[in-house]
Amino acid sequence: MSTLLQSEQIIYGDLTQQSYTIDTFLGAGTQGEVYRAHANDKAVAIKWYFPHYIQNDQQLHQRLENAIRKGSPDNNFLWPLELVTQPNNAGFGYVMPLRAANFKSIVDLMRRRAEPSFYALISACLQLSESFLQLHAKGLCYRDINFNNVFFDPDTGDILICDNDNVDVNGATGAINGTPRFMAPELVRGDAPPNTESDLFSLSILLFYMLMLHHPLEGKKEASIRCFDQSAMNRLYGTEPLFIFDPQDSSNAPVVGLHDNALVYWALYPQFLRDVFTRAFTTGIKDQHGRIRENEWRVILINLRDSLFYCRCGGQNFYDADTVKNCWACNKALIYPPRLRINNTVVMLNHDTKLYAHHTDQSQKFNFSTPQAAVNRHPQDPNRWGLQNLSNNAWTITLPDNSVKIVDPQRSVNLAAGISINFGNITAEICV
Amino acid sequence: MTDIIKRPGGAMANRPLHFFWLADCSGSMYGEKIEQLNYAIRNAIKPMQDVAADNPNAQVMVRAIKFSTGAQWHIAAATPVEEFKWDNLTANGVTDMGLALQLAAEQLDVSQMPERCLPPVLVLVSDGQPTDDFNAGLAALMSKPWGKKSVRIGIGIGSDVDLEVLQKFIGNPEVKPLQANNAEDLVKYIRWASTVVLQAASAPASQVKDQVSTGVVPIPQAPTASDIDADDVW
Repeated sequence: MSTLLQSEQIIYGDLTQQSYTIDTFLGAGTQGEVYRAHANDKAVAIKWYFPHYIQNDQQLHQRLENAIRKGSPDNNFLWPLELVTQPNNAGFGYVMPLRAANFKSIVDLMRRRAEPSFYALISACLQLSESFLQLHAKGLCYRDINFNNVFFDPDTGDILICDNDNVDVNGATGAINGTPRFMAPELVRGDAPPNTESDLFSLSILLFYMLMLHHPLEGKKEASIRCFDQSAMNRLYGTEPLFIFDPQDSSNAPVVGLHDNALVYWALYPQFLRDVFTRAFTTGIKDQHGRIRENEWRVILINLRDSLFYCRCGGQNFYDADTVKNCWACNKALIYPPRLRINNTVVMLNHDTKLYAHHTDQSQKFNFSTPQAAVNRHPQDPNRWGLQNLSNNAWTITLPDNSVKIVDPQRSVNLAAGISINFGNITAEICV
Repeated sequence: MTDIIKRPGGAMANRPLHFFWLADCSGSMYGEKIEQLNYAIRNAIKPMQDVAADNPNAQVMVRAIKFSTGAQWHIAAATPVEEFKWDNLTANGVTDMGLALQLAAEQLDVSQMPERCLPPVLVLVSDGQPTDDFNAGLAALMSKPWGKKSVRIGIGIGSDVDLEVLQKFIGNPEVKPLQANNAEDLVKYIRWASTVVLQAASAPASQVKDQVSTGVVPIPQAPTASDIDADDVW
């Protein structure tokens, strides 16, 4: 139910003088309400602020103007396009792109109403890290990373970041401190205002939630709280924050029956992911300088996605060089597919694995635009698997007997142990 | 392969949140007022369900107490919000508000509540003054740990309501009773209590600087009353 604007009402864009017709109410938050609207035949979203919020947030208008002038950090933000006003109304709002229906909320993920594969989920985490990197690199601070500001496509892992009206230059005074459960401890305690480093803490919380479906600080301490009120939250997230998997202190360990997701997922992921979360919520909890930066998340999340492989039952599992595990879905012993060792990382060569310039070209880290190689089946012998060269350059391969061959574009190399592939400036080895 | 579960585990762990309506059904509510209250609550069901569905931290359970001459359960069983329906109330009798608080207090006893919960939410709607021992009822409620920890909202209907009593019930000087002088305000306030307050008690939204921060949970600002329309005043 809307309280601010009515269907068919017309509001006007400040920059384009475009008239927008309100169609339907989409939702409300603490700052205002969001509507679907259209201008000509183009559907957009419009956020219109509550009068009391405008009074509380004196910098809002200026902040939005700045954001509109600067433009979106990348295509994943539902960024303000222009301010909108209405004659004889002191209120205002802004226009942003409309979110497509295939995007689901993080709440849907938490409630299991959206079920991405691990691959799509990790891709969403990766995109999140990349988008926040773009935002922070522009000297901006988001201030309010939480469940409600991020949407994702469960099929592809594409993401959208909304509520960009709190974004401001890092260090600027703002009206929003963040959302409980996501705020960095120093913000919960009131010791510091939001900044890029507190954004990084919130990002780690969101990534942990997405990957583990649990909060990283809710263990025994949470279990011992009867009434989960403001003072309990301040203690758990502000004055006594303790990681549930802190290797030095088990007093906040997850409790079986209450925190099962944390226990299930922690055991499932490879050690390198556990290590980075451990740093995020031990050194990173006390020291702003100890927080995991987006660039590190990108590397870790790509490695995590590359470590995925299928059990025969179809369940996606993670390769962990240090541990042999059974499949989480069928509990049978896992059989590894061939793998490609590229420097210190391992890419599992599944039936559907594709390699990108990120994997094959030292100078193009994080480029996932066009596949450069794909696992394929021999056209005559379905039992033979290969890696097809989808790039424009020939590869040089060295066989175990040290003989050298050329793999031209579109040709494939057998997935056999001991073959090393020189992609140009990167050499990788096939392991079986 | 398409049929297998994609990832292990269950939904995110959450806690129950018990939500209580305490509705004045005394004779002075007879006629338009009680019908407007029925309408306002029915109108709030869907938004309340939507807020609950979008909140992974809470499992919202609804109950309702009606009070006039004596107090009874209108919805006795803690009902999952997805199944919450509102049967219309009728009005008749005096205003035994204290008894309503006693009734709520019984259910907020440690023995009746689950071990781990979010703060309960109690929304008291009244158009008048208690005719029984309100203070004894409030004392009973506050003697229960869950009563003390509850988030209490008071909504007054019309100009005869005893705002001081509602303020005592709320027990937090920074949260004022809401006075609905017309049907539109009542709809707005009931909706606010069943959505914004519900959300605040379980998963507080973005923290606006300098907002009310004392009490069990921070309560976001209530909507402003609309201008009084002469035709709409009771």
